[in-house]
Amino acid sequence: MVTAAERTVRIMNVNGLHARPAAEVVKVASRFKSDITMVRDDLEVNAKSIMGVMMLAAEFGAELIVRASGPDAEEAVAAIAALIANKFGEKK
Amino acid sequence: MSERHLRGIPASPGFVVGPVHVLRWEVPEVPQRVIADEEVEGEIQRFHAVLGKARGRLQAIRERAERQAGEEEAKIFDMQILLLQDAELIARVESLVRQNLSAETAFEVTMLEWRHHFTRHTSPMMRERVGDITDLQIRVLSLLLELPDHDPLDVPKGANAVLVTHDLTPSLTVQIDREAIGAIATDAGTRVSHVAILARSLGIPAVVGLKEATRRLHPGEMVILDGSAGTILEQPTLDEMREARERSSRAERFTQELLALKEEEPVTTDGVEITLRANVDIPEEADLAAASGAEGVGLMRTEFLVISRATMPDEDEQYRAYARVVQSFHGAPVVIRTYDIGGDKLPVGGHPHEANPFLGWRAIRMCLDEPQLFIVQLGALLRAAAHGDLRIMLPLVTSVDEVRAARALMNEAAADLARRGVPHRADVPLGVMVETPASALACDTFIGEAQFFSIGTNDLTQYTLAVDRGNVELADRFTPLHPAVLRLIARTVEVGAKNGIDVTVCGEMASQPVMALALLGLGVRCLSVAPRSVQLMKRLVRGISARKAADAAQGALGARTAYAAEEILRACLLDAFPRGAEIFDGLPT
Repeated sequence: MVTAAERTVRIMNVNGLHARPAAEVVKVASRFKSDITMVRDDLEVNAKSIMGVMMLAAEFGAELIVRASGPDAEEAVAAIAALIANKFGEKK
Repeated sequence: MSERHLRGIPASPGFVVGPVHVLRWEVPEVPQRVIADEEVEGEIQRFHAVLGKARGRLQAIRERAERQAGEEEAKIFDMQILLLQDAELIARVESLVRQNLSAETAFEVTMLEWRHHFTRHTSPMMRERVGDITDLQIRVLSLLLELPDHDPLDVPKGANAVLVTHDLTPSLTVQIDREAIGAIATDAGTRVSHVAILARSLGIPAVVGLKEATRRLHPGEMVILDGSAGTILEQPTLDEMREARERSSRAERFTQELLALKEEEPVTTDGVEITLRANVDIPEEADLAAASGAEGVGLMRTEFLVISRATMPDEDEQYRAYARVVQSFHGAPVVIRTYDIGGDKLPVGGHPHEANPFLGWRAIRMCLDEPQLFIVQLGALLRAAAHGDLRIMLPLVTSVDEVRAARALMNEAAADLARRGVPHRADVPLGVMVETPASALACDTFIGEAQFFSIGTNDLTQYTLAVDRGNVELADRFTPLHPAVLRLIARTVEVGAKNGIDVTVCGEMASQPVMALALLGLGVRCLSVAPRSVQLMKRLVRGISARKAADAAQGALGARTAYAAEEILRACLLDAFPRGAEIFDGLPT
């Protein structure tokens, strides 16, 4: 069954969505079957692409929408939102 | 200067006579090529094979970098390895190949599209990634076009080659084979760029900022590179090559002679013990500094952690950098200076350009205004302090309030570490860098708050004489022997001695014999100099008497001009070293 899910998240780590966190997002997103995108203003990118995620240039405080559609859409959005909320496991 | 000379910026001293190895690390020209429908599947397979090959190459380079330079340096390559596996990138190239473009044309078009997105961004985080895209473009296109592999790995050992390239990116720098490359020459770069600092710390002669070296110099031609003068000589005559080799071996002999002093103690002829420490710019220099015989580090700079980076280093990364240096010195003091940069150099936040940055929002001022950033550095320092005798030095302090505020943040960092159960030391000595007339004249106001003073002669001279030390027009007006500067140093030493506060000098002044003599004469008992100057200072200390130095310094203090002060000091030095040359020659530049 194909479902769709969406959630708004805020980047909470000081350095923003730089290389390592972007790679973490891609790693987590790639575990799901659903199509997953991230949206900032009018830019929507594939969350399974490191180039795409980097292109968001999301700094500390930036607001993003995580969007998924597919068999595991709900779980995918939850997993990425949790990763961002936990500041990618970084200190501070 | 003849027409055979190329002039650049001296970045790391030394002479090298050797063949040019031009490293063209630039994106190759891609000939437009279309393919027939039946070739499409084969072309896609070829593209995937090349991606696999590029990944293998990158992984090998990464492992090598990790072995030679460490995990942090190796991480430079992670982004490129990830990009090679990017699903969007691969899908886009495949779709273009299906429209009958060759793999190299399709890849080129895709990279240009990405590059366009990235360069439009103003954030440094994105601009840093453009370098990764360029590296990747060069690697993949070279493989697709079957061009020769340009990596600097391929110079034969023993070649003593002069590596000529546009700019040394960190990813190229960590690949340099020291047994093959004798010197480095780049079109771009400044004295403080990453390549210059690394070349100095590795002891590889280097000239940067040559502008057109890659265009003018030809692979295989013999040149003489003079890292002290910042020049490259083309088509050298036999005489010129002989002379350069002689100078090179003279410098080598001088170094050997000084090395013989390694086991000797730095004691003056009348028995006054002097402490010699080393200045360290980057952690990689620590071993070199320890091998020089220095008794600890008098100044470890921390700017390398933040300059030219997209993100602030976290506590763990900083801790590893500091701990590495502390551990190299087995319990000897290691003085680490907190960030000494302007707000505009920070990777985070957009800070406005200042009309007068040297009098502006920088160093301790910036750190105290950005406590969330400063506290991470202080926490990392307290953690590293658990491994030895680490001391923290605050730059550009003008008032005791700043020391108190820094101590409060340090205590906060310690409490946070304790809460997290992270091993650290809470009672780390906190010192003041005396580098403004304000802190020198009012150094008595720091008593009871600062555990040590360290005089930074470069900035003290600049701020006292109102002479910009970077302005070549003013170069001969910039002198620490000006009576005003000497008196400020004398006052700081006197207040320190009276109150049992250690006073060190860690500026450039400490490593020039005439200046060092003045400092010893003024009562300074601890000097911190560049690692390669430690032995030279030891020779100086062992050849003079503290009493005579004090007499000369008194004379210099009473002189009316810097020139007169220098005459007095030079006479004293020549009296102690009648051969003159042995102390003046081979001076680090």
